[in-house]
Amino acid sequence: MTTRTTCGALAALLITSSVFTTAACADSMTMWVRASGTNAAAHLVDLWNSTHSDKIELTTIPDNQMVTKLATGVQAGEVPDLVSFDLIYMPDFMKAGFLTDLTADLKANPNFASVAEAYVDIATYEGKIYGAGFTPDVSILIWNKDLFKKAGLDPDKPPRTIGEIHEDAKKVHALGADTYGFYFSGSCPGCNIFTTSPMMVAAGSKILPANGSDDALTGDGVKQVLETFREMWTEGLVPKSAQADNGANFTALFKSAKIGIQGCGGFLISDLKHDVPDMNFGVTFLPGVKEGHVSAFVGGDVVAIPVGSKHVPLAKAFIAWELTDEAQLEGLAKNNILPSRPALADNKYFAADPRIVTTAKALGVGYVPWVYHFADMVNSDSSPWINMLQRAIFDGDVDGAITEARDKMKAIAGE
Amino acid sequence: MTSAVLSPEAPAVIARRRPQARAAYLIGAISIGVIAIMGAPIVLSALASVKTAADASAAPPHYLPTALSFENYAKVTRFQAGLATYVGNSALVAAIAIAACLAIAAPAGYGLARFALRGKEVAFLVLLAPIMIPYQAILTPLYLDFAKVGLVNTHLGLAVVHTILQLPFSVFLMRSSFEAIPREIEEAAVIDGCSTWQRLTRVFLPLTIPGLVTVALFAFINSWNEFLAALIFMNQDTSFTVPILLVSVRAGKFGAVDWGALQASVIISIIPCLAVYLVLQRYYISGLLSGAVK
Repeated sequence: MTTRTTCGALAALLITSSVFTTAACADSMTMWVRASGTNAAAHLVDLWNSTHSDKIELTTIPDNQMVTKLATGVQAGEVPDLVSFDLIYMPDFMKAGFLTDLTADLKANPNFASVAEAYVDIATYEGKIYGAGFTPDVSILIWNKDLFKKAGLDPDKPPRTIGEIHEDAKKVHALGADTYGFYFSGSCPGCNIFTTSPMMVAAGSKILPANGSDDALTGDGVKQVLETFREMWTEGLVPKSAQADNGANFTALFKSAKIGIQGCGGFLISDLKHDVPDMNFGVTFLPGVKEGHVSAFVGGDVVAIPVGSKHVPLAKAFIAWELTDEAQLEGLAKNNILPSRPALADNKYFAADPRIVTTAKALGVGYVPWVYHFADMVNSDSSPWINMLQRAIFDGDVDGAITEARDKMKAIAGE
Repeated sequence: MTSAVLSPEAPAVIARRRPQARAAYLIGAISIGVIAIMGAPIVLSALASVKTAADASAAPPHYLPTALSFENYAKVTRFQAGLATYVGNSALVAAIAIAACLAIAAPAGYGLARFALRGKEVAFLVLLAPIMIPYQAILTPLYLDFAKVGLVNTHLGLAVVHTILQLPFSVFLMRSSFEAIPREIEEAAVIDGCSTWQRLTRVFLPLTIPGLVTVALFAFINSWNEFLAALIFMNQDTSFTVPILLVSVRAGKFGAVDWGALQASVIISIIPCLAVYLVLQRYYISGLLSGAVK
C-alpha cells in the first residue's frame, strides 16, 4: 500500500514536472494597458496569443492611474514587459527615462516607415525613438442625419465651417425644446482638447507651448471658436447639462438622438452601430473658420517597453509584429479600429463603411502636441485649458479667459 | 388563544392605547421614510443593473428598465480575469487582514488596558498617530520598500498594508473593550489561580467577543472596499481585487461611464458586506457600544 502510494506520488511528480518543463519553453509576457484602450489592445493581444507560442497577459490599469503606477513600477523595478498608454504622456515618460530605446529596431523595420507621422513625432526624443503607434483614435465631427432631415437641412451635407455648425445647430434646435443643435462636455478637459482644439488649429491657431518661451494660444482661431461656442450656449443650442459634464455623458446624449452635431472620436462609430443600429449619422473632419480648413487631434495609445522589462527581445518582436499588415488588418481594421499605418485605410473591412475611411483619413490631417506637463496644462480638472473654456463659454469673458490661460500655460511649460 | 384571553377587555385596551398607537404609527411612518431614503440608492442601482446597456446610459435617465436584461451582469462576470478571480482575491486578502488585525490588536489592547506599564499612554498615542497621516502619502515609499522584500504583487503584501491601515482603530477598540470588563472578574480569576495567559484566553477573550467581532467586521469592510493600495501594490489582472474591477469595468473613452456595468458590479460587491453584516450585526452593535463606554 505504502509502496503503491509512493509510486503514485512519484508518477504525479514526474508528470507535473514534465508539464512545467514544456511550459517553460514558451515565455509569457505581461502588458499593461489603460482602461479605455483595453478593448482595442485585447484584439491585438488575442491575435498574437493565437498565433504565437509566447503568450501575453494583459492587465488593465484605470486611465488616470497609469502615470503613477508606471512611475512607481520603474523605480521599484516592478514593471510589465510592454505598456500601452495615452500617447500624450510620451514626452514626459521619455524625458524621465522610463522607456527602452527602440531606434535601431524600428528604423530597420520596413513597416515603420509608413506609420502615421504624428505617432513617430510623439515618440521621438533627442533623435531617439521610444515607442510605436498601437491602437489609434482620432477626433472627427459627427452629425445626426435623421435630425438634419427633419430640420429641413440636407442630411448629406455636413457643416464645413464653425459658422455653419452654428447655423445648422439653430435649425436642429428649432425642432423642439429637448432637441439640441450642438454638444460638448463642458467640464471635461480631455474631451475638449480632443474635439474643440482641432477647430482652433484648423482656424490657424497653435494651442500649447512646448517650453516657457514658446507661444501659446496664438492667432484668432481660439477666440473665434470660443465666441461661437459662447453664442450657441447663450442661445440655448447646447443642453444645460453640458456645463457640468465631466465626460461621463460625452456620448450619451448623441446616442439618445437628441443632438444634431458634436465633435467626437472615431470610437463612437462602432459604439453607435452597436447601441443604436437604426440611427443615421455622418462623419466628417472637424472644420475651422474657413471652408476647406480642417484638423483633428490624433489620440489613442502607443506601445513601449519600460526600462526593467524582463523580456526585451520578445517585447521588441511583438512591437515589430503589431506593425505588420496581418496585425494592422486582422487585429485592428477587422474590429473597426484604425490602423496606425494610414496607407492601410483602404482595406476590405473599411470598404463597407465610408465613415470609417473618413476617420482613418483624419489621421493624416491631425495634429498631436509634443509637450511636457500635458496633464497640468490640459488634463487636470483645474487646468488652464478647461478654465479658459469655462470662463469664456459659460461666463462670457472670452478675452480675459484667453490671456489668463496663455500666461498659466507658459508658466507650466517653463517648469 | 391570545385573542380569546384579551377579547373581554379589548375595547378598554384599545381606548387606553390609542395615543400610543398613534405615536407608533408616526414612528413607523418616519422609519419607513428613513428606510426609503437609505434604501433608494440600492434599489435604483439594482434597477439600473438589469437595464440594457443603452437603456442604462440613456439621457435623461428613466427610473424603471424598459426591458429586463442581464447583459450587465454577464459583462461583469466575464470581465478580464473573471469576477470569481477578483472576488477570490478580495476574500483572501480580507481574511489575512482580519486574522492579522485580531492577532495583533487583541494582545495589544489587553496589554494597554490591563497592565501598569511605564509610558503606556505615550505608546498608545504613537499607535494612534498613523490615523492622522493620509495613507495615500505613504503608499509610494511603502511600495518601494515592499518591492525590496518581494511583497509587491502578493496577497500577503496587500493584506499587510490593509492591516497597517486598520490597526490603530482596532487597538483603540480592543483597549476599550478590555477596559470595560469589571476588575472584580479579573480578581476572581486571579484568586482561582489563572495565569496571565489563562486570564486572557479563558476570561477576557470570551467577554470581548463583541469587540473582536467589531474589529473583524471593520477589517473586512475596509479591506473589501480599499482601492488605491490594491491598485498600486498589485501588478496583474489575476491578482486585482473587486474595487479595481469596479473602476475598470465602468471606464469608457474620455471618462464616459458604462452605468449598467457599474451598477451591476456595485450590487455584486455589496452582497458579501451585507451578508457578513447581517450574520454578525448582533455582536456588531454591542461591540460599538463597548467602545463607547470609555
